[in-house]
Amino acid sequence: MKCDEINAWLDALLSEINEIEVTRKSERRVRVDVPASSLPALLELLKGKASYVHLSAISCVDWPGDEEFELVYHCWSYEAKSLLSAHTRIPRNSAEEFAHYVSVYDIYKPAAFFERDIYEMFGVYFESSPYMEKFILTEWNGPPPMRKDFDAEAYVNDTFNWADYHPQWLQDIEEEGGGIAIRPEDIRL
Amino acid sequence: MRPENYQVVSLPNSDEYELFIGPNHPGIEGNYAFKLKLDGDRVISGKADAGYLHRGFEKLMEGRLWIQNLAIVPRICVPDPVPMEVVYSLTVEDIEKTEVPLRAQWIRVMQLELSRIASHLFTFGGHAATTGMYTPSYWGVADRDLALDLFEELTGGRVYHIYNIPGGVRRDIPNGFLDRLSDYLDYLQTRQNDYDNLLFTNQVFVKRARDIGVLNQEQALEWGVTGPNLRATGLAFDVRRDDPYLIYEQLDFDIPVQSAGDCLSRILVRRDELFQSVRILRQIIKHLPSVKGPVRSPIPNPLAWNVAKGESYCRVESSKGELAYYTVSDGGDKPYRVHVRGASSMHAVQVLENMSVGQRIEDVAQIMFSLDACPPEVDR
Repeated sequence: MKCDEINAWLDALLSEINEIEVTRKSERRVRVDVPASSLPALLELLKGKASYVHLSAISCVDWPGDEEFELVYHCWSYEAKSLLSAHTRIPRNSAEEFAHYVSVYDIYKPAAFFERDIYEMFGVYFESSPYMEKFILTEWNGPPPMRKDFDAEAYVNDTFNWADYHPQWLQDIEEEGGGIAIRPEDIRL
Repeated sequence: MRPENYQVVSLPNSDEYELFIGPNHPGIEGNYAFKLKLDGDRVISGKADAGYLHRGFEKLMEGRLWIQNLAIVPRICVPDPVPMEVVYSLTVEDIEKTEVPLRAQWIRVMQLELSRIASHLFTFGGHAATTGMYTPSYWGVADRDLALDLFEELTGGRVYHIYNIPGGVRRDIPNGFLDRLSDYLDYLQTRQNDYDNLLFTNQVFVKRARDIGVLNQEQALEWGVTGPNLRATGLAFDVRRDDPYLIYEQLDFDIPVQSAGDCLSRILVRRDELFQSVRILRQIIKHLPSVKGPVRSPIPNPLAWNVAKGESYCRVESSKGELAYYTVSDGGDKPYRVHVRGASSMHAVQVLENMSVGQRIEDVAQIMFSLDACPPEVDR
């Protein structure tokens, strides 16, 4: 199958799905906005019928103003040489309760890594994903840190005592004009 | 893990035992742990454990100006930092619709290829060391150092260059730089025979690396493998040719492939790629003097620069594979979100876990290094 044929086939395929918005950004970049309920079906069609076999990444963007998470699935076709980014939005919960969505691990195996990453950084639980557990932040008990409402500086100020990192011997040195250049109270993260 | 969190676990009687590789281990280019479950010297299962290098770059970038982030991005992959700077700049340029001057594009490709050479030399040495051959690792690092000398002259920094900025590169190349680059390429080509004799055709190494850690093409595609690891399974896919960026379309180079998909194929693909990079650099040395013009298109005051609202997903071929950034701007002076898709995020985790099953314990380190995984790309 040639590139043009795959692209024509892709357009026909996309036109059959309801509530979908397709934007061709350039020759090799397609943006698709799809409701969350149709996304797994879209990915299945893309992989099975339109040669988009490589899941390049899943990105998550937090939009607290809209009370939504945006999930972006970047899929690449080796034959059509085109990258399709499928954007979808899911409701955003508070940090204590996880937001929920379905895993696409059974369609794309690489999804497991990205879903685990989004789970621990944003607190989105992917149903039926194989590794919904801590990976990078093994000993982290705070809220998911990549959420926009997580303030790293406030967390550090609440959790750590600056005096522990500013012992008497260091204060003595500072009084004589030496020591660290920036005082703890002046540190901005 | 902190010592106080270790707990004694009593397990039923069994011949199986656990072995921790890492977090400091010669089998990988950074702090990264791999927990093996073994029966005798056969691996039953492996589990990757990241987090020893996590510095929260993605969160940090949301709190810094667009221009400040250029000092952060190269730190995401130490052996091969240039693609990080370039792909970050590409996303910003894509959002802002900035035209990059032609001369800057040529200079960027020159750095990218020089960085690929430096990274591959590092990998040769590391891979050989996991099989007990230490001479190539000294040679590789020594020859890489000469490339770092060139980077120092070009950018002022040996490891982290911070030379690319949105809109182009910081300054033009120094006088006589291309001659010195040409001398370095001559030197590398005189070393080709030495490397071949010592490593790539040396039966001590070849017998040790052949048929170890075999990954076939079907598995590679299923697990999202990219870069030299994918090309070692016979699929000639390279972002530089199939999804070209900068001026790669104007350059003449081959995509080396091997078919066996084992550790030997992976290192041979890297060896051939290194000399393809030399070929690309020769073309650049020939053409760059005839490409006149500025090296940077004007950008607004970088300290008060509100990048237009938008999003962009750009990718480049780094020495490890497909490297991509997804950048979102809400029209502010800082990025709203930057997602780093490191090339190693697949190789170091799922691919390694799957490949190590059934292998012998002495081959695990070699398999780890043959995938050329860069742990900071996983941790970010």
